[in-house]
Amino acid sequence: MLKRTLPSLPACLAMLGIALTLAPLIPGLLWVLAPALNVDTWQALVQDNQFASALLSTLGSAVGSTLLALVCASLVTVMLYPGRGWLLVQRQLPVFLAFPHIAFAIGIAFLIAPSGWLARGLANLLEWSSPPQWISIRDPYAISLTLTMAIKETWFLLWIMATLLGEQAISRQITLANSLGYSRAQVWVSALFPQLLPRMGWPLVAVLAYSLSVVDMAVILGPSTPPTLAVLSWQWLTDPNEMTQAKGAAAALCLMLLLGLLILAGRGIWWGIKTLYKNPSGVRQRGLAFKSRRLFGLSVFVPGWLSLAILLLWSVAGGWFFPRLFPASLSLKSFSNADFEPMFTALWLGAATVMIALPLTLAWLEWGSRKHHGWLYAPLILPSLPIAAAQYHVLLAINLDSTAVGVIWSHLTWTFPYMLLVLVGPYYSFDTRYLCTAQALGHSRFSACLSIKWPMLIRPILAAMAVGFAVSVAQYLPTLFSGGGRFATVTTEAVALSAGGNRRVLAVQSLLQTALPLCAFMLAIGLTAWYARNRQGLK
Amino acid sequence: MKKLLLATAIMSIASVASIPLAHADAKWDTVTDKAKGQTVYFNAWGGSDNINKYVEWAGAEVKKRYDVNVELVKITDAGEVVKRIKTEKDAGRNNGGSVDMMWVNGENFRTLKTNGLLFGPWAESIPSWQFVDTNKPVRKDFSETTDGLEAPWGTAQLTFIADKNVVAEPPRSGKALLAFATKNPGRVSYPKPPNFHGTTFVKQLLSEMIEDPALLTKPVDKDSFNKVSQPLWDYLDKLHPVAWREGKAFPANNAEMHQKLADGELKLSLTFNPNDAANLVAKEQLPPTTYSFGFTNGTIGNVHFLAIPFNAKAKEGAQVFANFLLSPEAQVRKADITVWGDPSVLDASKLTTAQQAVFNKRAPGSLDEVNPTLAEPHATWVEALEAEWLKRYGSQ
Repeated sequence: MLKRTLPSLPACLAMLGIALTLAPLIPGLLWVLAPALNVDTWQALVQDNQFASALLSTLGSAVGSTLLALVCASLVTVMLYPGRGWLLVQRQLPVFLAFPHIAFAIGIAFLIAPSGWLARGLANLLEWSSPPQWISIRDPYAISLTLTMAIKETWFLLWIMATLLGEQAISRQITLANSLGYSRAQVWVSALFPQLLPRMGWPLVAVLAYSLSVVDMAVILGPSTPPTLAVLSWQWLTDPNEMTQAKGAAAALCLMLLLGLLILAGRGIWWGIKTLYKNPSGVRQRGLAFKSRRLFGLSVFVPGWLSLAILLLWSVAGGWFFPRLFPASLSLKSFSNADFEPMFTALWLGAATVMIALPLTLAWLEWGSRKHHGWLYAPLILPSLPIAAAQYHVLLAINLDSTAVGVIWSHLTWTFPYMLLVLVGPYYSFDTRYLCTAQALGHSRFSACLSIKWPMLIRPILAAMAVGFAVSVAQYLPTLFSGGGRFATVTTEAVALSAGGNRRVLAVQSLLQTALPLCAFMLAIGLTAWYARNRQGLK
Repeated sequence: MKKLLLATAIMSIASVASIPLAHADAKWDTVTDKAKGQTVYFNAWGGSDNINKYVEWAGAEVKKRYDVNVELVKITDAGEVVKRIKTEKDAGRNNGGSVDMMWVNGENFRTLKTNGLLFGPWAESIPSWQFVDTNKPVRKDFSETTDGLEAPWGTAQLTFIADKNVVAEPPRSGKALLAFATKNPGRVSYPKPPNFHGTTFVKQLLSEMIEDPALLTKPVDKDSFNKVSQPLWDYLDKLHPVAWREGKAFPANNAEMHQKLADGELKLSLTFNPNDAANLVAKEQLPPTTYSFGFTNGTIGNVHFLAIPFNAKAKEGAQVFANFLLSPEAQVRKADITVWGDPSVLDASKLTTAQQAVFNKRAPGSLDEVNPTLAEPHATWVEALEAEWLKRYGSQ
C-alpha cells in the first residue's frame, strides 16, 4: 500500500511547487493588464505617434536578431562539429553565456560609439581631433541593437546545440553517416538539423521573447526617437498618470500578441519546409573535402572578447579623453572604492533560488505532465515588466513585499522555467530502459531516479543550475519591484549607476555582474569533470 | 506683597510664554524617543557616487546620535517611487509602506500631494527649520505650496558646462545658443524630454521666448497652450537641424552629455548643480579646463525636497533623519565642494563664519558667477510641454 502511494507524493509536490510559483501570477496579471481592456486605451495607443515606428523597430530587431542568431549558430556548428574547433567553442562558451546582456551591451557601446575604441583607433590614424558624427549606436533602424542581440543569442543557441550534440545518439549518427560516405553538409541537412531544430523550438521562442521584451539592452543600444515598444511600455507603466499606465498595459499585451503571431508564423514555415523536404534522396552529393574553418567559426567570439577587454580597461583607467587609444594612467582606485555588498546579496539570493528551483524542476520533469508543459514557459515568453508588476501585486496582497522570501519567489518565476528549458531535452531523451531495469530490480521510482537517472544526467543538471543562478543574478525588474528597492544586487547597482555615467564605476559593476555567473558555470564544469573522472560515458 | 504678585505675574507670563517652546521640545522628544531603533528606507536617486557617500555618512551619524538606522534605496527615477506608493495605497496598505522618506520635487510632489499620499505637515515643526532661509522659495515647489508636507534639502540652478580650450566665449542666452549651434553643427544637444534636465532646458527656452512670462506661474491653460508656446517650437525647429545627429536622437540624460562633452562629441553640457562640473573634474571625468556658466538674463532654479509618504513605517525616524539633514552641520558638509557641492537651503547669517566659508569654496570647474534665478513654471506645464515635445519630435 505504502509503495503505491509513494510515487504520487512527489507528483503532488511537483504540482504544488508549480502552483506556488506560477499560479499566483494569474490574478496579478489580470490586475495589471485590466486597464488595457478598454477601447479608448487602444485608440490612444494606436494614435500615439510613437507607436507605429516603435512597433516596426521592435519587430525588426526581434525577428532579425533571432534569425541571425539561429543562422550563425548553425553555421558555426556545421563548420566545427565534430572536431577540435568545437572543443574550443565549448571551452569559451561558459564565459560568454555568463556574460550578462547589460554588461555585454555596455562593452559594445564602449567599442562602437562615435567616441569608442574603434573611432579612437581611426582618429589616431586619420588625425581627427573630435569624434566622428557616426550613428553607430541608437540608430533609428535598431541595427546595432539587432546585431548585438544576435551575437549574444548565438552563444546561447550554440550552447543549446552543444547540450543536444553531447548526447551519445547523435555523435553515433555522424560517425555512421560519415562512414557511409556522406558529406558533412549533407549529414547536417538531411540527418541532424531535422532532429535538432524541433528540439530547439522552445529555446528559439525564449530568444524571440527576450528580444521582443528586452528593456535594458534597448535603452543602451536601441533607437530613442521613438524607443522600442518594450521600452515605451516600461516607461508608460511606471508613469504615475493612469491613462499613460493603461497605454503601457496595452503595449505589453501588444507584445504578447506579437509573439503569438510570430510563433504561429514560425510553425507555419517549419511545417512548409518539412512538407517540401519530405523525402531526402540518399544519393551522395559531392561535398567539400573535410576542411577545417576554425578561424571563421571562432570569429563569433571576437566581439565578446573585445567587449570584455574594453570593460577591463575602463575599470582600471584614470583620465582617458578622446582621441587617446589607451588611458593616460592606470589605477585600481575604481576597484578599491567599489561596493562589494551587492555582489554578496546577488550570491545568496541566486543560491537560494536555485536550491528551491532544482527539486521543483526534477519533480516536474519526472512526475509532471509531458504533453502539457508548454505553458510553464509563459514567464519566458511574456514581457517581464507586467509579470514583475503582477508579482508585486500578489506580494502586496499577502504582505510579503520587500522581504527576502518575496524576492526569491519572484526570481523563481524565471529561474524555474529556464532550468526546465535547459533540462527538458536531455531529460526526455534519457533512455527509459535504465529506469525500467532499476525498477524491475526492486527500486522505487524515486530511488531509481536518485541513484541511477539523476547521476547519469549530472551534466545537464549542473548546467541547469548554473543557468538558473545566472538568470537569478540578472533579474532587474523583479528584484526592484518585489524587494521594494531594498535588495541591491550587482544588476540593480549597475543599472542605477548607468544613469550616473561614470564609465569606470560602470565597468567595475559590469565586471562583477559577469564574475558571478561565470564562477557558477566554471563550478558546473569543474564538478561535472570531477564526477565523471572515472565514468567515460558522462564526459 | 505687590512685589510678590508682580513676580508671580512675571513668572506666570514667562511660563506661559515658554510653554509653546517647551511643548514643542517635548513633542520633538517623543518623536526622537519613538524613532529609536527604527529603520528609515530613504529612496533617492542613486546615480552619483558623491551623493551616495554623503547619504551614507549622514546615515552613520544619525545611527550614532539617535539610534536611527538609514538604508539608502538607490532609484533611477522618483516617478517610479511615486507609482509604488500609489500602488500600495490602491492595495490598501495604509501603514507599513516600503518607503519611509524620499527625495522629490516638482510634478512628482504634485502627484503625491493631490493624491493624498503624503504624511504631514511635519516639515516646519522640526527643530532645524529655524535655520532655513525662508527668503528662498522653500515653501513653493514648482508654484505648488508645500504646506509643510516636504522639507527643503538643497537648491539648484540650471548651469551650463563647457571646455575653455574648445569654447572660449560661451553663449549667454537662448538666442546666442542657436547662433552657436549653427556655427558648430552637430555639437549641441539636450537630454530627451521627459528626462528631468531635458524638460528643464525646454522650460528655460520657454521662459525666454514666451511673450507673457506671468502665464508660467499659473496652471497651464490647455486651450491657449499651443498659441503661447509657439515661439518655443519655432526655436526648436531651427535648433534641431543643426543639433547633434540633426535632432533625430538625443542623449538619454545629462550624465551622457557630460561624457560626450569629455569625448568632444558635444561642446556644451548642462546640469542642475553649479558644482557638478567641479566634481567631475576632480574625478577625471572632465578635463581640468572645464568651466561652468549661466545665461545673463537668468536660468531656472528650484529647490529639492524631502517628503514622507502617508504609509511610512518609520515616520518618526524619517523626521529625525530629515532634521539632521537640515542641520547646519549636515548642510555645510553637503555644500562642501569636495563632498557633494549641493547649495544649502539655510540662512547663511545664522551660521558661524567658519561654516559660511565652506559655502564660498571654489574648485576648478565650479560656477564662478552669479546669474539671476528664474522661477520654475507651475508643475502642470511639465506634462503639457513633455506631451507636446513627444508629439512633435518623439518619432522621427
